[in-house]
Order: sequence, then C-alpha cells, then structure tokens
Amino acid sequence: MPALRRSEWYDLARDLNWNLSYVTEDEAFPEVMSNNYGITPNEKWWAWDEPYKVSYREYVHNQYGKDASVYSVNSVIARSRMFEELDPGWKSAIVAHYGAIAVPEYLAGLGESRMGRFGRAAAWRNMALFGTLDETRHGQIQTYFPYTLLDKEPRMDWAHKALHTNEWGAIAARHLFDDMFTANDAVSTAIQLTFTFETGFTNLQFLGMAADAMEVGDLDFGALISSIQTDESRHAQQGEPTVRILVENGYADVAQRLVDHMFWRSWHVFALLTGLSMDYYTPLEHRSHSFKEFMQEWIVKQFLDQFRDFGLEPSWYWESHFLPELDWYHHALHLGVWFWRPTVWWNPDAGVSPAEREWLEEKYPGWNDTFGVYWDTIGDNIRRGEETKTLPETFPMVCNMCQIPVVTPAGFRAGKLESPEPHIHIHEGRQYVFCSEPCKWIFQLNPSRFAGHTSVVDRFLGGEIQPPTIPGALEWMGLSPEEMGQDATNYAWAYEGLEAPGAAAS
Amino acid sequence: MTTMRRRKARTWSLLGEVKRKPSAYEAVTAKFHYHFRRDPAPWELDPEMAFNRWYLEHREGSPFNVDDWEGYRDPAKLTYKDYVTLQHERELYVDGLVDRFEAVDHAASYSEGWTDTFKALIVPLRFPVHVLQMASLYVGQMAPSSFITNAAHFQAADEMRRLQRIAYWTQVVANAKDGAIARTETARDPWERAEAWQPLRETLETMLVAYDWGEAFVALNLGVKPAFDAMVNVALRDLARRNEDEFMALLCEEFDRDAARSRAWTTALVRYALERDPTLADVVNGWLDTWAPKAIAAVEAMGVLFEQAPEPVAGEELGEMAREGQREIAGAAGLA
Ligand SMILES: [Fe+2]
Ligand SMILES: [Fe+2]
Repeated sequence: MPALRRSEWYDLARDLNWNLSYVTEDEAFPEVMSNNYGITPNEKWWAWDEPYKVSYREYVHNQYGKDASVYSVNSVIARSRMFEELDPGWKSAIVAHYGAIAVPEYLAGLGESRMGRFGRAAAWRNMALFGTLDETRHGQIQTYFPYTLLDKEPRMDWAHKALHTNEWGAIAARHLFDDMFTANDAVSTAIQLTFTFETGFTNLQFLGMAADAMEVGDLDFGALISSIQTDESRHAQQGEPTVRILVENGYADVAQRLVDHMFWRSWHVFALLTGLSMDYYTPLEHRSHSFKEFMQEWIVKQFLDQFRDFGLEPSWYWESHFLPELDWYHHALHLGVWFWRPTVWWNPDAGVSPAEREWLEEKYPGWNDTFGVYWDTIGDNIRRGEETKTLPETFPMVCNMCQIPVVTPAGFRAGKLESPEPHIHIHEGRQYVFCSEPCKWIFQLNPSRFAGHTSVVDRFLGGEIQPPTIPGALEWMGLSPEEMGQDATNYAWAYEGLEAPGAAAS
Repeated sequence: MTTMRRRKARTWSLLGEVKRKPSAYEAVTAKFHYHFRRDPAPWELDPEMAFNRWYLEHREGSPFNVDDWEGYRDPAKLTYKDYVTLQHERELYVDGLVDRFEAVDHAASYSEGWTDTFKALIVPLRFPVHVLQMASLYVGQMAPSSFITNAAHFQAADEMRRLQRIAYWTQVVANAKDGAIARTETARDPWERAEAWQPLRETLETMLVAYDWGEAFVALNLGVKPAFDAMVNVALRDLARRNEDEFMALLCEEFDRDAARSRAWTTALVRYALERDPTLADVVNGWLDTWAPKAIAAVEAMGVLFEQAPEPVAGEELGEMAREGQREIAGAAGLA
C-alpha cells in the first residue's frame, strides 16, 4: 500500500485545467459537443468538484474483484438448471431487459467518453473516463450473460441485435438514448444522463429488479444488475456538480428544462420496461413492491429532494400529468403490449389470474373496473377459442416523441384523462402526434432536434414498410415467426380458478 | 414457454453462420456500433440534427474508411474484464514498487540538481498526458467499430494511470524536498508559459481539434504519441537512471508496457486498413506529413530540460529517440 492517502495527492491529478492559446475555446469545445449555455469563460467551470473520488489504482483493484465475483456466479449457474426452472413471466422480464438495456449501456459509454473529452473541467473529464469504462463493463457483461443462455433461450439473441432492428420498442429505446447521451453534448449529458436518468431510473430497474430477482431465485440476474448499480451510483455523481455550476451562474432555468425534458422521457420508457416487469411479469409470490410503490420510493421522493437541494422546482407537469399517470399509464401499456404481442421480442405475461387481479386491485384501487374489464373480455375470447380476437389487425398511433403507442383512449376510459384524443401539433406544415402534453412540450423546446424524424406509423403510412400489412410490418421490424411474442403462459391465467380446465394445451 | 428452436445457435445471429465459435472477446465486442453507416443517419433523431451531421462528416465521411471495419481485432483482445484484470496485476506491481522505494525514503535521496530537473521536466507532464487521455477518448467515441473504440478507451485509461502515478510521486517528492513542487502552478505555469513546453502544447492543442476520425487516430497514435512516449518512457527512463532515480526509471519502463499495447493495436489497425485499400497509405502518410514533424519539433524543444539535468541526455539523442519511435511504428504498420 502506497504511504500517501488518496486525499493527499488526488488534487494533483485533477487540477489540470489550463487556458488554451493555440486554438480557441470554441474550437476545442464546440457547442455541438459541449454546450456551455453561455457560461464563459471556461474558468467558471473549473470549480467542478466531484462528490465521489476514486483513483485509477483503486478502480482497477475494485473492479477486478467485482467482475471476478459476478462472472463466477454466472459460471456456476450456467452449469445448473436454474434458468430452465425460472418462471416464464420472469424470463420475459429479463429477455425484455437485455434487449432494451445491454447495448444501450455500452453506448452510454460514448456519452461518457464525450464528457471525458468535452467536459469543461479536468476533474469531470477524469470521472467520465471511469464512466466510459463502467459502461463498457455493463455493455459487455449484459451481453455475455444472455450469450451463455442462447442455447436455452434463443430470444436472448435480442440482447445483441435489438438495436439493429426496427422493432418499435427498439426504436423507442434508440430515440430516448440518442436524445439522452449518444447524440447529446457533454453538459446536457451530465444533467440528462447522469443527474436525471442514472440517479433515479437506473435505481428503479437495477435495484428494484435486483430485489425481485433475488426473490424469484434468479441469482445470476440479481448479482449482475446489483453489481452494475454500484458503478452507476458512482458515475451518476457527475450530474450534481454540473447542475451546481449552472445554478450558481444563474442558469437554473437551463438545468430545470434539461431535467424536465429527460425525466418525462425516462418515465415513459421505464413505465414500459420496468412497469410491466414488476406488476405483471414477476411471479406474484415474489413481488416485493408494486411498480407504483417503487416509483414513489425511488423516484418521487428522491427527485423532490433533489429539486429542493438544488433550488429547482418539481417539473411543471409533476402534479398535473406525472403523478396521475402513476395510476394508469403502465396498465394501459401492458394491455397494448399484450394485445400487440407479436410485435415484441419477448413473451408478454398477461399476469391477470384471479389472485393477481386481487393484488392489482389492492395496489391500484379501481383496477378491476378500469382495466380488469378489458381482461374480462379477452379472457372470454380465449376460453371461447377465439384467440384471433385477441390479436391485432391494425396498428395503433405512435407518439412522435417517446415513440411509444398512444394509449390515451385507455387513460380516458379509466377516468384519468379528459379526452381520449392524442395531442396534435403542426410544425412547418407537418402534423405530429403526441401521447401527452409533456411529450409535445419537449418537441417544442427544440424542434430541429426531432422534426425530421419519422415514427413507425409515419413510415408505415409513407410506404416505407412493404407490404403495408401486419406481416409486412413484423418482418420490417426484424421479428421472425419464432421470435414474435406469445402469451407467456399459453393462456393458463384465463383458466385459473375455473372448473373446466380444457386449456393450457401444448 | 420458451422460443422454438430453428437451429442450435452457436452465436449471435448477426455474426452469421460461423464455422468457428466466436471467442468471448468477439461475442461482447462485435457489432455493437449498429449506428455506423446507418440509414438515414446514425442517430434516431432528426437526420439533419447537429450530431448526425457531426458523425456523418467526421466518421462516415472520413477518408480513412474501408468497406468493413468489423473484421479488425485488437491483438491484445481485451474485454473490460481482461483489461481490469491485467491492470489490477500491473498496479499491484507498481504498488509494490512504491512500497519498496518509500521504505528507503528514496525521494529524500534526490540531489538538488535532480530535484530541479524533476520539478521542471517531470512535474508538468501531467498536463500533456491529460491531453493524450482526452484525445484517446475522442478516437474511441468516433471509431466505426467497437473493436477500435474499446482499444482507444483503454488507452485513455492507461494515460490516466501514467498521470496518476506521476502525480503521486510528485507529492512524495514535494513532501521530501519542497512543498512548492506539489502546487498546481508548478505544473501549470511552465505548461502555459515556459518556452520549452510551448511547441508541445501547441501540437497537443491543435491535435485536439483534428476532428476527422481518421486524422485524430493517425495524429495521436502514429504521430504524437510515439514521439511523446519515446520522450517519457524511453528518454526519461534513461535520464532517471543516469541520475540514480531507479524508481522513475522503473516507472517509465512500466508505462511503456501500456504504450506497447497501444502500438500493437495501432499497427494492426493500419495494416487492416491497408490490406483492404492500399491507397489509404497516401491518406495516412498525408496526415503524418503534418503531425510527425510537429511532434518531433515539440519533443526537441524539450531537449533543454533533458540537458539541464546533472547527468544529461543530449537534445539530439532525445530527438533521435522520438524519430525512432515514429519510424518504428510506421514500419510495423506497413507505411514505410
Ligand atoms: Fe451502466
Ligand atoms: Fe451509467
């Protein structure tokens, strides 16, 4: 052990800011890569101070140990029958997770690398270098684990290929993550990726799902994602000092806008990913909390504290749109995803057996009258052998911001919205459809960032998808017939608690 | 229910029908940059937005391009796990080195003359090494394949390693000799103003704004870094040894293990590109015509500092080492 403590020499390794003189600041930190939002000269950024400190030697020593232990769990489990014995709904949750998260994590490394080059203080650039390495780890470890499961579950292929496809969920993930980090400047990335997304939403998916994984007995996934979260909570701390610099220089409004923009987007995608996994796919007996409870515990409380600590306000849509959506949005998405199940790479688990419905009613009072009624009809159709009635013949509208199908009619019928209509907006002669007021607001903040993008539905209507039929669209999305989602339990839920079993054939 | 099985999957479907099962390194590296040459634009936003234009211009639009980058392999075949395992071992070695020299109070044995050289030459090195770290990250984030990105990102981490070991020892020497050695100004003032440092700073600052992906790679890994590494890892090693600083000499030797890994992936990448398109030699050499002499001039300007040591290394000798560093890598890359 070297004699000096880290604190005795660490400043020498980060006090490395200097005044450029052979190139200009704008040349070395161009706005597209590093938006200073008017905070000049660059010296004003030099006070950037990371709350969590680590040296290179500590980093490699620690990470070596962490990787060794997670990979050894994996190799022990690979030789067991653990995966085969997992609940089918849970398998769907992890197949969905790997597809939506593994490669994007790797790409978060590009955002980190951008901060490592274009961050406006050396201390920040150093932290971002560790972030770059961390995300390389997360991308690799989360593709390696599903890779070892390929022979047991061919759908694990989506851990690697999802982002190469035009599957609608993959488009939504790309659109979100490109907006957040792969195509975002260093300053905005620090606030949107690290401050907004990683301090909040990754907790939800990584700690929340890790808790469920341990309950379910999926030690592999549990060890994996809880180890990842220890890295996230370290490199997430790049956000705080960046927000501080904005606020101290009188740009709290900029920080507020960046947070409000990305909080909403993250909420929508995680309602889709985590919401369905926690409230419908995780086996009932292993659910530690409902999704709403996790949201309240990990997100609502934490963000309110964060807003207060940094002199920011709860987002303008907090009371009016966000909190009300906690009661219905992911239930509506679940219904949609299950109905359009051939369009996803995992097997949606309906999760509405009598016992599960009781739980849903308890966690979301009124669920039976609002969402349960749809499932009554679906269950009737299944029991009557009319499966085709439970499958789609058309496509839903898709939001031009979050790229997620518009579920306002379900929200309206659940009594949560004043109108079933989507939000229409005309920009330079083109009509855009938004699922919600905040999605429209995000578009209007910065139209040139989004305007030329086309959603799945725009492409369908524009003739890009041929033939313009459901099978044509499924092929365009990269889903082979074997990969298209099916009900995870082969409709067992529709017969549970009933006298005549007849079901669950195959 | 589990998915029906078409065939026994040997690997990811995107890797095609492979004869040989890909290695773990390949399974967690191949085809991660789905956005490279993606239609209509790399990022799933307005195709005309600034970032799409940046990547289209500087990556897809770089003259240093081949039909397929996915076949390239870093000879060290490092995954993240391999990298931290390797560097964990190497850092244990350096920890031991530090222990050994701290136990004998090595820094206290520095002569006055060598302490002056340490202060003037070694202390400010943190700044240029930090620039090399920044530049490697740029190469990594712009590279068209993850096989390249990861190697460049690990290289950036190696630069941080080098920087922190110098920073640590600077504090040790400051404690033993003169607290001023550890002040920021002791490093920054020469970096910003001393004559000997200015050509190096000019080279590095201008290299930072070489945004074309290929040029950024060539300027850094074939032009500037080989010369700089020759100066620090070789010339400074010799200088330290001549002045009885065995610790610094061993540290510089250790740094060159990382540099050797950089040279290996760099030459492999250039060779890969030239095999696919021999005309790229002109592109690479064209950039080198700019960056190689700049880097040599930068190192040569540092000669006075090497010459002021009690037991000096001659300026000419230093320049020759830098040139040799560049020649060696150009030769190994098949450019000569
Ligand atoms: Fe991550
Ligand atoms: Fe992260």
